[in-house]
Amino acid sequence: MSGSLLLQSLILGLLLGGLYALLAAGLTLYFGVMRVVMIAHSAFLILAAYLAWFFTTQTGLDPLLSLIITVPLFFAAGYGMQRALLSRLRPATLTMMSVLLTFAIALIIEGGLGYLFSGTQRRIQLGYSSASLELWGARIAVVKLVAFGLAAVSLLALYLLLKKTRFGQALRATIQHREAAQLLGIDTDRIAGFGFGLGLATAAVGGTALALDATIYPSLHWHWIGPLMAIIVIGGLGSIPGAAVAAMLLGVTQALLQIPMGTTWAQTVFYLALFATLMFRPQGFFGGRLAQRF
Amino acid sequence: MRFTKTPTASKRSRATLAAAAAVTLASTLAACGAAEEGGGDDEIVIGISLPLTGDFSEPGKGIQRGYEAWAEYVNDNGGLLGRDVRLEMLDDQSSAERVAADYEKLINQEQVDLVVGPFSTRLVIPAAQVAQDYGYLFVEPAGAAPEVFEEGFENLFYAAPAVADDHYKLLAEHILAMPESERPKTAAYASMDDPFAQGTAYGLKDALEEGGIKTVADEVYPPNTTDFSSIAAKIADTKADMVVGGSQYQDGVNLIVALQQLDYQPKLAAFSTAPTETEFAEAIGDKTQGIIAPTGYTTKADYPENQEFVKFYEEKHGEAPGEDEANAWTTGQVVAAAVEAVECAEPDPDCQSKLIDWLHENEVETVVGPLSWDDKGRPQSAHMIQQWVDGEIKIVLPEDQAEAEFVYPKPAW
Repeated sequence: MSGSLLLQSLILGLLLGGLYALLAAGLTLYFGVMRVVMIAHSAFLILAAYLAWFFTTQTGLDPLLSLIITVPLFFAAGYGMQRALLSRLRPATLTMMSVLLTFAIALIIEGGLGYLFSGTQRRIQLGYSSASLELWGARIAVVKLVAFGLAAVSLLALYLLLKKTRFGQALRATIQHREAAQLLGIDTDRIAGFGFGLGLATAAVGGTALALDATIYPSLHWHWIGPLMAIIVIGGLGSIPGAAVAAMLLGVTQALLQIPMGTTWAQTVFYLALFATLMFRPQGFFGGRLAQRF
Repeated sequence: MRFTKTPTASKRSRATLAAAAAVTLASTLAACGAAEEGGGDDEIVIGISLPLTGDFSEPGKGIQRGYEAWAEYVNDNGGLLGRDVRLEMLDDQSSAERVAADYEKLINQEQVDLVVGPFSTRLVIPAAQVAQDYGYLFVEPAGAAPEVFEEGFENLFYAAPAVADDHYKLLAEHILAMPESERPKTAAYASMDDPFAQGTAYGLKDALEEGGIKTVADEVYPPNTTDFSSIAAKIADTKADMVVGGSQYQDGVNLIVALQQLDYQPKLAAFSTAPTETEFAEAIGDKTQGIIAPTGYTTKADYPENQEFVKFYEEKHGEAPGEDEANAWTTGQVVAAAVEAVECAEPDPDCQSKLIDWLHENEVETVVGPLSWDDKGRPQSAHMIQQWVDGEIKIVLPEDQAEAEFVYPKPAW
């Protein structure tokens, strides 16, 4: 194994980890806000990727511009979904029933995409798809760097929003103690809806970042949901910084393990880490009491 | 579910949702088969079970279109041995259990004169077993994986140019014929963990290793892999002179882009399947320069049989035939050649074994060129090699079919 391959793999791992962090952020947020397991999150990622692809093939413009449409659209869809569907589930069985409900939504999205765009595998044709920068002999693909940048900006924005704004305070209050938040005059139902919308808005950004450097097809989301679930459990359910750190660690570990072990075995790192977490620290590595997870 | 109307069918009618579709199709079929009563001396009935629903329904329907077009063509041109050809088609729903039962029924109850094969390895093997038990000739349009030829079938013939391992045969010969100084010295391989895709890459690997070209990377990835950057990094790190991908579609495309992102510039890059798909150029734009792919069928091959097939098919369907349609048509041609030569098409074992023996000893002119088989039914021909030249995919090998010169070393991508 050469030093340059090691450096190259490290860079690829960091870039991949950044993408994982962005894709997992929404998933952990839904759980934090509402104790909802959102199986359809990855289906929404693929939906956003398809919208970016469709936008680019129709207009010829850069897929990143599709964010102007998809982010507000997904926010509204998330708000609507929470208010119209998820809030109607009985609190006692919310977590379990939300799996069923969002599973159905994932199937509807997959079927709809197949119906509209067929099962043909698509890829956005970009002038800069194979462009790269050199760094000490290693190569950094521009598309991967853009995706990483999107992840960094979105996660930072999300963090600031939750920490520094009144809406963020209200959202965190809702997460920590819904009844106490209500007593303080917070409209927790609306806040929960906004929280869900926020999660889905990250799916719009994540899906677009994914579409820059991937071939997409309607059933691709099944491939993503497993690793993303593993990331948020390892990071601590509900913790966005936890998910981000777990994503980076797993991305780098996966890329480095591929050198000696090959692709098939390197994939298992997610599940091994998941087993280890559940055995030794079931609350996840960054999840203390739920109340302190932000 | 049945697709033709015969007296037996109406007695055993099934209340399935698809019945309506069957009736529509049956009337189409009846139009090309002369007699609806079935089984007379004035027609040859060919039994087929196809995956018209389920996992393989897309290629299954392609095969169906090919068979139907072939039967129509034969009947337009005076039939076989002066008798009309009628296709008796069943739907096996892509299930291996059903396909065996279907052929059992076709041979035993319907007493069809001939049978031909379904789509894909998983269905071909059980179907061929039934045909073998009854001594029937079994020519099949799809089922290229090595397993098909390891079951000891004596009645099976694969109606395509080559089995998976031989897809790159012409490329291997071409590379090894280069002067020692120009030849690539090292090669990197990446293949999907799939018998067909791996067969293509490893067939080339074995041939090149024997010729002294060193293997410097050999990566296998599971079919669900979508991120190829790490595999690409390992290949790029070896600086191999050539790279070979045992790919299907998305894996091939993603690997090519990942290699480009690392600015890896091999002298030769060959990938199976992906580069021949229409979506390929749309996905990676103008960065296709010099990419090589083997292909079992192209409408551009100038065998006279092929020109006629393309013309007939385009007139009927308004679009060019694909590989599935061509493979079904080839199957028909192979059976027809044997029938015309030994002048019989009956269920009795004597006639069937004459047909089998004839195909073992003779060569047949088809839309994919002349075909002959070894004793296990492996076709002895080779896939054509295509290469992307100036934004178009063109035949470069064999030389007598070439539309463009083989470009080596390949231009930067």
